[in-house]
Amino acid sequence: MVGGAAKLGTRAGRASFLAFVAAVYGFLLLPLVIVVLASFNAGELLTFPPQGFSLRWYQHFFRSEPFMNSLFFSLWLAALAMVLSTLLGTTAALYVVRFAGRWRDAIRLLIVTPLLLPEILSAVALLFFFYGIGLGKTVTGLVIGHVLITLPFVFLAVSSVLYNFDTSLEEAARSLGANRFTTFRLVTLPLIKPGVISGSLLAFIVSFDLFAVSLLLKGIGRETLPIQLFDYVTWDFDPTAAAVSTVSIAITLVAVLLVDRMVGLRSLRF
Amino acid sequence: MDHPPLTLAPEPLAAAGTSAAGRGGRRLAAWRRPSRGLLLVLPTLLFLGCFLVAPYVNMLVMSFRNPSTTAVFAPGFTVGNYTKALADPYYLGVLAQTIALGALTTAICAIVGYPVAYHLARTRSRLRGLLYVGVLSPLLVGVVIRCYGWIILLANNGLINNAVKKFGGASHGLPLMYNSFGVGVGLVHVFLPFMILPILSAVQSVDLALEDAARSLGASRARTMLRIVIPLSLPGIQAGAILVFVLSISAYVIPILLGALKVKLMPTLVIQLLIDAFLWPFGAALAFILAATGGLIVYLFIHATGRLMRGLG
Repeated sequence: MVGGAAKLGTRAGRASFLAFVAAVYGFLLLPLVIVVLASFNAGELLTFPPQGFSLRWYQHFFRSEPFMNSLFFSLWLAALAMVLSTLLGTTAALYVVRFAGRWRDAIRLLIVTPLLLPEILSAVALLFFFYGIGLGKTVTGLVIGHVLITLPFVFLAVSSVLYNFDTSLEEAARSLGANRFTTFRLVTLPLIKPGVISGSLLAFIVSFDLFAVSLLLKGIGRETLPIQLFDYVTWDFDPTAAAVSTVSIAITLVAVLLVDRMVGLRSLRF
Repeated sequence: MDHPPLTLAPEPLAAAGTSAAGRGGRRLAAWRRPSRGLLLVLPTLLFLGCFLVAPYVNMLVMSFRNPSTTAVFAPGFTVGNYTKALADPYYLGVLAQTIALGALTTAICAIVGYPVAYHLARTRSRLRGLLYVGVLSPLLVGVVIRCYGWIILLANNGLINNAVKKFGGASHGLPLMYNSFGVGVGLVHVFLPFMILPILSAVQSVDLALEDAARSLGASRARTMLRIVIPLSLPGIQAGAILVFVLSISAYVIPILLGALKVKLMPTLVIQLLIDAFLWPFGAALAFILAATGGLIVYLFIHATGRLMRGLG
């Protein structure tokens, strides 16, 4: 910032501004930090001061069949939704950016619509619809719901990369005689890789944390981890839920670190 | 590091194959014809047609169905679901409370989020990347987990009340949860990043030279903020406000976990009617009433802020 006449008043103003900003960061991070701390606390509840370090809540978690089942089900569901929405989102982005004519804006709007509509509304719409066509409370219906919500994330990530790279590279490959497939494999794909990777990992994270869609579309006895956690937290405050949450945060963190390692965090777009 | 906008910001105009010249030009032009790549987008269009358009049309139809006590709906159509909901002071009260809490959440997010976004946009600190992750981090953690964190803090026998009882000597804890305060804290926490990120990219697009010019011409820091930076970053505030408002009036998990059904809001009511009472046509009508009200408010807001921005420009 400009130096200018540094008056005492502005310095105090600057300090209180920074203090305010720091307080907001504290507010944002506080519940997450608390959850992680609670999971390692020996006591039944997180009291102050903490009652010592313990892994017993993790033991609880890993021995709990409902929690472990829902963890693996969520991982499987998120992986499947990620693969499907990456295939659909990437091809759609290629079309919209490279080929679409006057329908470009309409198609783009349609694809990002699930992001603009409240998740709970889409979940209700799918609940009615699946009931009508016989997909109610099936895993297929649940997967479709997850793909619907995660698709826009892949689409946006890939299309923003596509907009930013030079089409003349593809044109050069084409005019030098490469066929369409070779051009795609050797030129386009390596260039859009950052968008595909960050988009698909974001899709994984979003699906892994998805709640409303899972709540309304899940089959009986097919709980995802957030739903299992929700049921538990509604009745029970013991730190098993904190251990589950911490493991879930760690899984997300691995996905974020993968993005950072492979393509850099800046490509993570919302 | 450029921070991408959270919104579906206008993409840069793509140079669509116009530079294709030379021998390959004609072939390339053909390659770029929309019909050529149609196969690429067909699966997605089919998918969205089947599982986005059709379900919403179906839900709209459902909201006009006759209610039934023995089946999901009875034959025939009616507007009775809408008139019943709109004539009932109870549902109107819940709707008003939902909108009010959403508006309050939006206002608080804007006031709290703006300084953070401005700081992040202008800071040259080495911690910048870390701060960006700090803003993003709540988005990457599931909403149930974030609410659980607040439960540990705000519950009657939670961390804050424990501390109050121990050190403050109060015999009763403070009512921090199971009321609109708890729900409000949860809403602001969960949706604040959606306010910060659009403002961040808006502030970044405000030329620093403008600020320097205002300062060197003698404007105070506050005056520079009020007359230059905030007006120029209004589009970011507008986008963030719309996002936060829409997300808060349709939030489901937060009111349940932090309000425990004591705070009556539309989304929780709709789900209750659908899942527990099985009133599908009526629930669908209520959902559309909420969506229409929210849409109308967003429209009026865009209109008002658009006029404000034009007035400034």
